[in-house]
Amino acid sequence: MDYILNGLFQAIQLMIHGDAETYSAVAATLKVSTGSMIASILIGIPAGFLLGHHDFPGKKPVRTLVDTLMSLPTVLIGLLVYALLTHHGPLGHLGLLFTLEGVAIGQTLLALPVVIALTATSIESMDEKLRITLISLGADRKQVVLSTLWEARYGILAASMNAYGRVMTEVGIAMMVGGNIKWHTRTITTAIALETSKGQFVSGIALGLILMAIAAMVNISLSFLRNRS
Amino acid sequence: MTSEGDTFKTLWPKRHQLSHQDADIYQLFNIKKYHGRQLAVNIESLTISQASITGLIGPNGSGKSSLLRLLAFVDSPSEGNILFKGRKAAPYDDSVRFQVSLLPQEPYLLKRSVFDNIAYGLVLRGVNRSRHAEAVVDALSLVGLSAEEFAGRSWYQLSGGEAQRVALAARLVLQPSVLLLDEPTASVDAASAQQIKASALRASIKWGTTLIVASHDWQWVHEICNRVIPMFNGKVMENGRGNILLGPWRLEAEGYWEKVLADGQVIRVSEPFSCAAAAVIPHDSIFLSLDKPRLNPHEHSLHGILTLLAFDPSTGSIQATIRIADLSFTLRIPTNHAQKMLLFPGQKVYITYPVSAVLWY
Repeated sequence: MDYILNGLFQAIQLMIHGDAETYSAVAATLKVSTGSMIASILIGIPAGFLLGHHDFPGKKPVRTLVDTLMSLPTVLIGLLVYALLTHHGPLGHLGLLFTLEGVAIGQTLLALPVVIALTATSIESMDEKLRITLISLGADRKQVVLSTLWEARYGILAASMNAYGRVMTEVGIAMMVGGNIKWHTRTITTAIALETSKGQFVSGIALGLILMAIAAMVNISLSFLRNRS
Repeated sequence: MTSEGDTFKTLWPKRHQLSHQDADIYQLFNIKKYHGRQLAVNIESLTISQASITGLIGPNGSGKSSLLRLLAFVDSPSEGNILFKGRKAAPYDDSVRFQVSLLPQEPYLLKRSVFDNIAYGLVLRGVNRSRHAEAVVDALSLVGLSAEEFAGRSWYQLSGGEAQRVALAARLVLQPSVLLLDEPTASVDAASAQQIKASALRASIKWGTTLIVASHDWQWVHEICNRVIPMFNGKVMENGRGNILLGPWRLEAEGYWEKVLADGQVIRVSEPFSCAAAAVIPHDSIFLSLDKPRLNPHEHSLHGILTLLAFDPSTGSIQATIRIADLSFTLRIPTNHAQKMLLFPGQKVYITYPVSAVLWY
């Protein structure tokens, strides 16, 4: 039990004393998760809206595919992105393997199905009366889309939070595509994996607590935003 | 309830220049609307006059809501065209977008404050924000809600009746050319219902708004409407063809199909195709008398009070309205007959009709 308490104590010390290696991992985590979340929101919300709002031939299979992709294992995405970005791969010339950008691409693939599927669900659950109301008050097509997204904002926020949770905590993609390179692509989760394999439970727990603190801060700020709106 | 007019006038100066009362604002020809395989609306021809108040009556599922959604340009007809002010129009067209507004039976309020709900349409129309506050206050007072108490509330802090009134205020603030109300009083408390009726009527009187109301509230519909259009199975009844009687019909022991009225009298009809079918007794099948008539075996008679006598210039006859329990019957009498009978409103009269004359829809 002692090492858990020690871990807590050490986490506080690491944060207070500004341990450079820890901060490098925190910065790497924030960079890749922010990058992948921005990309998955920019692509996922419009795609989720289209999937939830429109009827088109083949909608059901597409929906089933997206739902299935939600539970895609991170190591499989890691493998796929590695294969694409490796020197001999089709995107090898971009030189993105073992970079944070490469990790962000993999994490975008991880978050995208979650954002698309949950956005589609929240759009589908919007009342038909909303459309009638918006048109009745004079909205044009674009305004109907924007107002519907705004009405579904809590559902979309929940979708994004869910995706963010997956991205922040995944280790497979960061390890395989990033390579866990110290000062470069080492994220909090890959650092924890390394520390644990070295038997350094205390530093592992400390890093884990930091990760949870970041997740808590993001959640608290979002719920503050939600309450204000 | 005092100052609502002034802001509206300054916001919408042009709306007061009403065109001719008689111009048709809507013209529908061969309109069909399918929901899946079901034909919800099937109208050969229908016109609605500008600045008129039209009532749509009919049982549930008769197509009233579907027709209102077509008239609101929320849905497109599966077949046929709707002309609005003489021009073909479709959903999202600029010619109708800011002109027509529909209030659904169960209102949907946007997930924002009451103020923002009412100002939403103003924002879409590009009305300057500095004028929103006054317009919202006026619109709220028009539906009998105080702005101090309600403007700041969230959408979930309202009762059903209040939500319906806020939804109506969100339409009234726009001073639409056409206001379509779908069962506006069906699911609200009595006070809200009263207020909604009064507000809609004020809109019609103040701004010449064309009102189209679908309602089960027959008394209200007959009271305020210039014209009442019965609908059955997606069809509109030909204008002025007869007296509409809604079921349910019961087969009595003697083998007659009947319905008991509020005053205990019974209406006897021919065999309906369904217990809920709507019966129509054509005007020209009804005979009026001052004395209790001697009935043939296939005739039926009811007594009521003559409430209205009016000259109908289109037929050159006198149109008599007779109130029987909670129903209103109209029939036409040649002018010379009416003179001979010395009819005057308030008289007790009898109407007689052959049971076989009843038509079914």
